[in-house]
Amino acid sequence: MTLLTANGLTVRRGGRAIVDGVSFEIEGGAFVALVGPNGAGKSTLLSVLAGLLAPEAGEARLDGTPLARLDRRELARRRAYLPQNPRAEWPIATERLVALGLTPHLPAFGGLPGGWEPRLTDAIEACDLTAQRYQPATTLSGGELARAMLARALIGSPQVLIADEPISGLDPWHALDTVARLQGLAGAGKLVIAALHDLTLAARYSTHLLALREGRVAAFGPTGQVLDAALIRAVFDVDARIAGQGAQTLIDYRGPA
Amino acid sequence: MKPARALPGYVLPTVAGLLLVVAAVASLFLGRVNLSPADLIAGLASPHPNLAGLVVTELRLPRAVLAILVGGALGLAGAAMQGLLRNPLADPGLLGVSNGAALGAVISIYFGLAHVFPLATPLLGLAGAMGAGALTFAFGRGSTLTLILAGAAVSSLMSAFLAMALNFAPSPYAAYEMSVWMLGSLAEKSWDHILLAGPFILIGMAALATLGRSIDALTLGEAQAESLGFRIDRLRVIALVGVGLAVGAATSVVGSVSFIGLAAPHLVRPFVGYQPSRTLLPSTLLGAVLLLVADIGTRVIHTNTELRLGVITALIGAPFFFWLVVRLRKVAP
Amino acid sequence: MASALRSLVLVVAAFAVGGPVASAAGRAVPQRMMSTNVCTDLLLLELAPKSRIASVTFLAPEAARALFPGAADGIPLNHNSAEDVVNVRPDLILDSGLSTPLVRTLARQVGARVVDVKDANNFQDIRDVLRQVGDEIGERPRAEALIARMDATLAGLAADPPKKRLRVVAWSGGSAVPGKGSLTDAIITAAGAENIAARPGASESSFGVEELLTADPDALLFGGATLGQPSLLNDEGQHRVVRELYAGRRIAYSDIAHTCGLPQSADSAVALRRALAALPPKRAIR
Repeated sequence: MTLLTANGLTVRRGGRAIVDGVSFEIEGGAFVALVGPNGAGKSTLLSVLAGLLAPEAGEARLDGTPLARLDRRELARRRAYLPQNPRAEWPIATERLVALGLTPHLPAFGGLPGGWEPRLTDAIEACDLTAQRYQPATTLSGGELARAMLARALIGSPQVLIADEPISGLDPWHALDTVARLQGLAGAGKLVIAALHDLTLAARYSTHLLALREGRVAAFGPTGQVLDAALIRAVFDVDARIAGQGAQTLIDYRGPA
Repeated sequence: MKPARALPGYVLPTVAGLLLVVAAVASLFLGRVNLSPADLIAGLASPHPNLAGLVVTELRLPRAVLAILVGGALGLAGAAMQGLLRNPLADPGLLGVSNGAALGAVISIYFGLAHVFPLATPLLGLAGAMGAGALTFAFGRGSTLTLILAGAAVSSLMSAFLAMALNFAPSPYAAYEMSVWMLGSLAEKSWDHILLAGPFILIGMAALATLGRSIDALTLGEAQAESLGFRIDRLRVIALVGVGLAVGAATSVVGSVSFIGLAAPHLVRPFVGYQPSRTLLPSTLLGAVLLLVADIGTRVIHTNTELRLGVITALIGAPFFFWLVVRLRKVAP
Repeated sequence: MASALRSLVLVVAAFAVGGPVASAAGRAVPQRMMSTNVCTDLLLLELAPKSRIASVTFLAPEAARALFPGAADGIPLNHNSAEDVVNVRPDLILDSGLSTPLVRTLARQVGARVVDVKDANNFQDIRDVLRQVGDEIGERPRAEALIARMDATLAGLAADPPKKRLRVVAWSGGSAVPGKGSLTDAIITAAGAENIAARPGASESSFGVEELLTADPDALLFGGATLGQPSLLNDEGQHRVVRELYAGRRIAYSDIAHTCGLPQSADSAVALRRALAALPPKRAIR
């Protein structure tokens, strides 16, 4: 089982601690919703967990090995990272964009052994992109692009998926579709960590919640246990009422605290 | 629905390669002096030194080879830069390297260092290119935007020094010669020039050729490319070294030639499905073809004073820019 | 340098005999003469005594070194600028027509007369220029002496033409080759050779290595940049083929005698003839 541990992660910028002593431990088969107000340090934390940013203090480990010591390609094969608002810089065919996810698996020269056709087709079908397969990626709609990026992330079968606000800018249908997919990945044994702003969707789909405020962990644990009105007030300065539970949870914002 | 224009991988390089061969052969038969193909072939076959044989082996052949090397270097550097910066308007000169090379070469010639030892000019040109590149990197490291801005700053600094060299030229003629040199020319180049600059150009091109996969990954943006295992800071160094060596050596031997590095990848891109790695080889070949054709133009168009290569490429390149703008206006809202 | 010494001796002799007299138009002989371009610098240095020369250009010392070393020592140098005119306050300015209008305006204001001296492109031009300048500066007898010497030299050359009229070109790189109507052309002709670049039309034209090889001259002439400073022409002339084929057949000439029309231009023709006579037999490339 995949194990990701964070121990006292600290990142400073301009004298301020953006991420301050974050520690937690999570195994595969979980969908962790990372929540917190704007500027809480979520993106920075995700960069550190993805191994893209070295912390000033503390370390993160994947299956016991510190991220800094992992070979880059090895890390690339085992974890996928999606930044906020990803975009395609060139109008390449969508299938080519998705195929880029296999880059860490390529040998030094030449293509994948056995060809990558079958894996590409699988990934495209899994994300319902068959109709857009040959379309230039820059012409995809927001929802289609989100699915394409997800397909890109998943085609290499990573153990860990780290996504920064994967549903930002998506309409309700596509937002639901995406979080449902993330939940499905967790169900299949992968470890998913995603920053989310929508607390209702976080409540309904995530297995664990990591709440961040001013760079520090405000709460971490199974979502059902940790998410309550007190936490929301403490982290977001907002009064909320939580109705229902599990897949029927509804977070009802009342007003600023 | 397959987009109509992404051709199979071998088609474009083959076509470009054929064009290159045709242009190269044509350039052997064309020149200021009219020699019929029969004369030329007889001349090459004859064991004694003779005019036709000499013209081909010592003048036209090295000129063609140098055009291919320089054009190829510019095309490849342009494709690599556009891939690295994800910008179709990027051009090898952005890193300040071309101006640095010109400055180095001009300094060598006008302080008479070229007479001290023959390797001085290309070497100083290279030193200028690498120095300018290092300066760009030192100031611009950190992000792609700062790299471009630093490149622009270094470019202007080199231009300023070039202007100063013109200002304080040791003789009035020297100033004229410098200006004319900077217009670029392949005329009167010999195998000596190829032996001097060739290795650097080839090494630089080899470095740039390794960027294929990385510039593909950069289609996803820098963050995702890093997550796929590429180190962007290392890529910037490779690009700088590659462009510095290839374009630096080329410029130090031939002078400033514009637009090839900008136009070649642009023309190639729609035919390779816009995929950056697939633009590299065709841009190299097309760059070589474009420069060869421009050079043939300087020989075939009759002018009293020698028509300089940079003038032709600029005269063709500027309308190309206009065409780009017109096309963009039709496409963009 | 024997020819330079000879002309110097003649100049001194003329001075001893003549001395400054009133100039042709009856004006007083100018006492503070200024030259604003290198060719008139050399004319001035050759014709006038140092005491009457107020200023020559910064290019003069280097140029004079080839022909009469030290002649410009001690003379204030100018950069052909309006400020110089005001500082020097000459009464006569020898100009080639390239000075800015401001220089001319200020010249009028300080009371200097500006004399335009044309470029000399052949020996008759040199005579005309020498006479003109001689008149203006009040050294007509010395000018005539120099002309006489030059004519004697030219006559000597014409009286004893070489057996074979060799074909030459002044080629140091190909982008600017003196053709018909240039001073170099006149010098080549006086030396008894044929300038193969003397095509009708432009007096300077492009002449690349291909044309050079096809024309197959007997010798190449080359000078450095105008004033002996390094420039691109020196470098481009080193094409490998040219070096090999014309090894030992490249004749250097003093730029200054080819750019500026001077009595010494005739000496350049003498030197050229001597060099051509000393050429080894040519290896054919056809």
